[in-house]
Amino acid sequence: MTPDFIYIFAGAGLVGLAMYRLATRRDMLLRVLALNFLAIGVAMILQASAFGETLTDAVPQAFVLTGIVVLVGVTAALLALAEQIDGHDDE
Amino acid sequence: MSMAFDILLALGIVFTAGTALGLRDRIASVTGFVITGLLIALSFVRLGAPDVALAEAAIGAGLTGALLLRSALRLKPAEGSKSPALQRFLAASIATGLSCALAWAVYTAPGTALYPALVSEGLAKSGVDNPVTAVLLNFRVWDTLLEIVVLFAALVLVRIIAPAVPQPEALGELMLPFMRVIIPVCVFLSGHLLWQGATVPGGAFQAGAMLAGGFLVLFMGGLALPTPRVMAFGKALALAGLAIFALAALATEALTGTLLFYPDGDEKIWIIAIESALTLSIAAMLYLLFCGMPRRPAK
Repeated sequence: MTPDFIYIFAGAGLVGLAMYRLATRRDMLLRVLALNFLAIGVAMILQASAFGETLTDAVPQAFVLTGIVVLVGVTAALLALAEQIDGHDDE
Repeated sequence: MSMAFDILLALGIVFTAGTALGLRDRIASVTGFVITGLLIALSFVRLGAPDVALAEAAIGAGLTGALLLRSALRLKPAEGSKSPALQRFLAASIATGLSCALAWAVYTAPGTALYPALVSEGLAKSGVDNPVTAVLLNFRVWDTLLEIVVLFAALVLVRIIAPAVPQPEALGELMLPFMRVIIPVCVFLSGHLLWQGATVPGGAFQAGAMLAGGFLVLFMGGLALPTPRVMAFGKALALAGLAIFALAALATEALTGTLLFYPDGDEKIWIIAIESALTLSIAAMLYLLFCGMPRRPAK
């Protein structure tokens, strides 16, 4: 038995949890957090589908690596925007 | 035995993620996020992807956690009560449905892997032995160039919005001895990850994140504060990586007639040169994304 299918379900679980919280939490920080979990869940599914008995497919690994780096840029941009929105409410 | 470990790890990931997303206390949520990130890095090791695991631990858990903690203290808590029951019920049903559909679709998808054969065929000519580095910096190097552009676009956005610069508090007497140990370790590990990325797991992104972590420790310790000179240096470094990458792309076009197709036999030199520039540039960009770039005070 290979570990890949367990992580497909874990990734799908993460995606489900993240989507639910994305729709129900009002806190902007938690929405950004949920978006991060959503992306990681998708990355985990992609990675699990790349799993092979002898060697893991390198192309999805490169995709996921790229995704992680893009995600940190998106997170930083979203947090800066969220702080800007907060600052506007004060005025 | 290993099966039990995988099941336990998967349950742990979903449980910590659920906890992190459900808590009221933001600091606790971010802590939960970092713990989940580390567990996910472990799951990537189990899935045979140590390169991704390194990146997830350093960038996904570490630097994103630092960014979220920074903003957790700044953003005001959301006003208003919980969402209405109907909205929560609908969101829960749709999320469950989509999640199950996703799992089913991936689980039942016919699995014929096309890439491993192509990658191992091209690996000998790629100049490096690590297949992931070969994909990132040779076969699909165009994607990597655009990825740096995306990071740069995020940086430009942060520059335009110019969020407040975090003010680190004094962290006590043990901070300096801690920095004396951790900063050299960060620099050495970064160099090690960069160099070994050619043959075994590692590479520019992990090395850059490691270096950025070192910068953040310096920042927290009250050194490397975003003074105008540090900022100018950081911006120059951030730009230099992208500029060198773009120039290298144009140079390959001139030398071989194909964009980003390295001259025969010299692939490794090109890859290491681009990766070195990227490491410094990624570290600078991540540092600037954390600190924000204040506008110059109006005269």
